Amino acid sequence: MSKKELIRRIVRSKFFMLGFILVMIIVICILAGPRILPHDAMTMNLSDRLISPQWFAKGTNGYIMGTDALGQDLLTRLFVGGRTSFLIALFAVLGGSVLGTFMGMLAGYYGKKWDTLIMRIGDVQLSINTTLLAIVIASILGASVANLIIIMIISTWVKFARVLRGEVMMIKNKEFIHASRVLGASNFHIMFRQVLPNVTTPLIVLISQQFGQIILLEAALSFLGMGVPMPQPSWGTMISEGRQYLSTAPWIVVAPGIALMTTVVAFNFLGDGIRDVLDPKMKH
Amino acid sequence: MDKPLKNVLEIKNLSVEYHTDFGVTHAIDKINLKIKRGQAMGLVGESGSGKTSTALSILRLLPRPAGIKTNGEIYFNEQLLDSINEKKMQKLRGNRMSMIFQNPLTSLNPVFTVGEQISVVFQNHYKMGKRESLVRAGEMLEVVGIPRNRILDYPHQFSGGMRQRVGIAMGLACNPELLIADEPTTALDVTIQLQIIELIKELQKKYETSLLMITHNLGIISELCSVVSVMYAGTIVEYGTVREVFMNPQHPYTIGLLNSLPKIVGERNKLTAIAGSAANANNLPEGCKFYPRCPHCMEQCKKDFPPFIHLSQSHSAACYLYEDKSGGKINE
Repeated sequence: MSKKELIRRIVRSKFFMLGFILVMIIVICILAGPRILPHDAMTMNLSDRLISPQWFAKGTNGYIMGTDALGQDLLTRLFVGGRTSFLIALFAVLGGSVLGTFMGMLAGYYGKKWDTLIMRIGDVQLSINTTLLAIVIASILGASVANLIIIMIISTWVKFARVLRGEVMMIKNKEFIHASRVLGASNFHIMFRQVLPNVTTPLIVLISQQFGQIILLEAALSFLGMGVPMPQPSWGTMISEGRQYLSTAPWIVVAPGIALMTTVVAFNFLGDGIRDVLDPKMKH
Repeated sequence: MDKPLKNVLEIKNLSVEYHTDFGVTHAIDKINLKIKRGQAMGLVGESGSGKTSTALSILRLLPRPAGIKTNGEIYFNEQLLDSINEKKMQKLRGNRMSMIFQNPLTSLNPVFTVGEQISVVFQNHYKMGKRESLVRAGEMLEVVGIPRNRILDYPHQFSGGMRQRVGIAMGLACNPELLIADEPTTALDVTIQLQIIELIKELQKKYETSLLMITHNLGIISELCSVVSVMYAGTIVEYGTVREVFMNPQHPYTIGLLNSLPKIVGERNKLTAIAGSAANANNLPEGCKFYPRCPHCMEQCKKDFPPFIHLSQSHSAACYLYEDKSGGKINE
């Protein structure tokens, strides 16, 4: 596909454009937001607690989204919490996709024993609810950002492995793979230099979809107190803290809730959009 | 050349079976083949007669776990192929023995440029750098008649004939001693077929490559090859120079095969065909595999497989007809 054609498809895909723009806005906000806003995410100011959103009445100096029960600026915490969520999701998706791709390729390419072993482990894992599994691991390992990433990797690699296995099984029987073997290619070369480039499309789509899912899972765990430890803000913990004040100060819950929803929707749109752009033949 | 012509490839008593859930398929039954340096051999036979299995067993790439070589030896340059390990075999493939595939539309990787695909062969075998191997890939493209600047194009930007040229460039990249062409023109239209055949012929002469041409197109054999082996149901039934076999076929199957070619000139007749259908490799008859369809079938044919009868210095057929007819006159 030429660059021109690629750009044409990108512009024509509504999903991609919408998802991409939303993701860009969110990323810019969480990166630049805390630098622009005057408040600190973790400084408490009890005289200013539970202030309702002032919007832009006092410019950026006021509490645009209001404050929480400890008098912390909600918008600042939203952005800083977003940073944590994105960081965790980034590492988790990278780790999960690398592990899952490797396992899926092993299972798909060598088949037989490898396939049985890896896919049965995956099946067992999928039979347990992801959140439940994450809670169990989190309670064993304890709550910290590093542990969260490990939990996410463990709970996402199966999805990558399953998709990759199927794709690899299809590709490995194509004639051009046979041709490269006849021309003296080793298994390693065939796996990583012939098969892998042919499965990048589903891989990219899956990565962008899983990104949203992981942010959601992270929020769920944090909500349950198994995620990001206390003083550090995260969307899940913010919702958790704010739920006691739901009737009197609903903005504490609504703000991170909307942020979470927008992010997940944006990444799902982006994932669908990427698939439309890279593989217009594959219509679901 | 001063030194005597070596056998680049020698197959002795090769048998191959496929073990599947439906039973054992005898794909190849004790065949013998010899290809000398620079010689072009044609291997003809109908679908399922074991031509491709022969090629795959030479490359040691029979589909696993179903395909099993049950008997025989394959010598490449007088070296027994069964004795060398997989790593060395990988070094032979693509470098000293190579293959051109039937379907050029599917035998190229769609996500790489043709330049990258040809250069990978150099990188694998000559430990060449990326840049240098791309230059060599460009040279190979010119050898097969494609402008050098097209190394940056992807397979889908080429026509079928052009892609087969790329396939040939990949096959010949390391100047192999043996080139196996598995029906390289079947997927192409007739005018392109001729071009590809001419190209293979020219390059085979130029590089003194030995060629094993697998096809069911007798015209291609007569154009390209000097000797021909006719296969039927996993056995070689007739062997000889192209002239002898085509002008004076001896085995009833070869006679039938040549008779069933449509004639372009002359009166329009119904196409003659060999009676019956091709032997079922799952359930082969005892003795000569061809006897159920043979017009000259005798009792002896049903019991034992006939030995090769040498009809001349270079022509032999596996048929009892000739032992009976000219028992004394056989020229060893």
